[in-house]
Amino acid sequence: MTDVHPLQVKELSKRFPRKRGLGSVKAVSNISFNVRQGEIVGFIGHNGAGKTTTIKCLLGLLKPSEGSISLWGNAPADTSVRKRIGYIPESPDYDDSFTPMEYLSMFASMRDLSGFNKDWMKLLKRVGLTKWETTGLRQFSKGMKQRMSLAIALQSNPDLLIMDEPTGGLDPVARKEFRDIIIEENSRGTSVFLSSHILSDVETICDRAVILAGGKLVIEGTLKELLGGENLYRMTVISRKTGEEVEETIPEADLQSRIDSLRRDNLPIVKLEMALKSLEDVFLSVTEGKEQ
Amino acid sequence: MKAVFTFSLMTLRMLFRRRTLWGILLVILLALAGIASVPSFDISNQGRFVLDFGLFGIEVGALLLALGLAANLYPRDRETRTLMPLIAVPLSRWQYLLGRFFGAALVQAAALIVTCLGLMLILILHELPIPGDLLPATLLIIVEGWFLLSTVFFFSFFASPPLNWPLTTMLFVLSQMSVSEFVSILPSAPGLMRTVRLLLPHADVFHIKDPIAHGFNIEPVYFLIAIFYGLCYAAFMLSLALAVFRRRDLK
Repeated sequence: MTDVHPLQVKELSKRFPRKRGLGSVKAVSNISFNVRQGEIVGFIGHNGAGKTTTIKCLLGLLKPSEGSISLWGNAPADTSVRKRIGYIPESPDYDDSFTPMEYLSMFASMRDLSGFNKDWMKLLKRVGLTKWETTGLRQFSKGMKQRMSLAIALQSNPDLLIMDEPTGGLDPVARKEFRDIIIEENSRGTSVFLSSHILSDVETICDRAVILAGGKLVIEGTLKELLGGENLYRMTVISRKTGEEVEETIPEADLQSRIDSLRRDNLPIVKLEMALKSLEDVFLSVTEGKEQ
Repeated sequence: MKAVFTFSLMTLRMLFRRRTLWGILLVILLALAGIASVPSFDISNQGRFVLDFGLFGIEVGALLLALGLAANLYPRDRETRTLMPLIAVPLSRWQYLLGRFFGAALVQAAALIVTCLGLMLILILHELPIPGDLLPATLLIIVEGWFLLSTVFFFSFFASPPLNWPLTTMLFVLSQMSVSEFVSILPSAPGLMRTVRLLLPHADVFHIKDPIAHGFNIEPVYFLIAIFYGLCYAAFMLSLALAVFRRRDLK
């Protein structure tokens, strides 16, 4: 029997019409990946790489130009599967004439979560908004709105959490709290799809990562696979143009040719050391020159 | 339907908390008070004058309320991104549209009833008689208001609020025209103009201010047919709005 993953994306492409004139711009091009049951998958890319476009396609906010998306084997528009999702948008905003309590109880009612009224205080405490339960959302900072969106996402005990830059505007303490909640949710079986610029967060909590550049998937794998590949070297050299010291990270395969070219140019190597590979190194090396 | 009901209540609460509603309501009530203080040419016709212009004022109020309440709802939801978490998870697009519509329709109806009570108060203060058909006439204006509201929703999915105002007002004006008035816009193509007029809404069916002001009785069946027509047209406009909204990419 084939496994039905919480999320399966097959050859997804999304084109937007150009503002003026004919033709279209391809924001996402032919990407395929899965999120398996109980997995935390990091979704990484530069600004404009197509992460938010992909997430909006997953949620039915944008219609894919080509390809298919399935959530537990169903289309994203299916209401029964949407009930199983928690979503945290990038820079969330809410109607500011409401309080968190009002908003949560309205979302609970719209999602038909009977019995939620007993739990809302517990939920606000979990996301650190206990003191603000009756404060108007207009007084909320960006970080507090993000906590609010986490509360809404967790309200239904989702089976799949889709998060678009959830820790972007948070201070380090709040980021740690967010990460802990994601890990807690994952430990009870929730699959998580986390788009983030903060690579250290992805490295800390994700099982796998999908890296996008210029709308295309450049690499996908478990963190072990991504970090355990080719060794990297960190080299400090003197720049020919400015005469200043410059640090470079070089894959092992390119090391000899780089040393040869420096010798030809009579440029000294100030320092050469083996680098402990981080997700940032992998990201930079696989996306180099592919931003557009 | 529970989601639609909850979202309607959410919309209703939100609109009651905005200043726009109270501003428009104040303008309508002040206009009604102003109408009553203008003397008619014939003092014996003062009651007819106040009723006629009062009901016209309430009708224009229905247009202002439809535009003031709804023209900015969807564009604002998109701009502030409050739309994304709603459409992404708990609501379908049709539930969003109906929820926003019903919430705004209830607020508009409540505001129009207040203006009708205001008109009654003005008639009482001026010791003028209150006709029995005033409440049914207001009910017809409420239905007309819902039709206008559905039109505003339809335009709001592809036009900005500053463009929505003239478009809806233009449809409001055209829908008041009789066939002969409409044909006179382009007398060289009477057949075409008649057909276009037939397809455009007939808001004139909601106007019973003249018969009321002149003391004529209106058959209950007329009210029922006019209400049915208004509700059908509003449902048609909402279906068109949904068709446009469903095709929209929410970037």
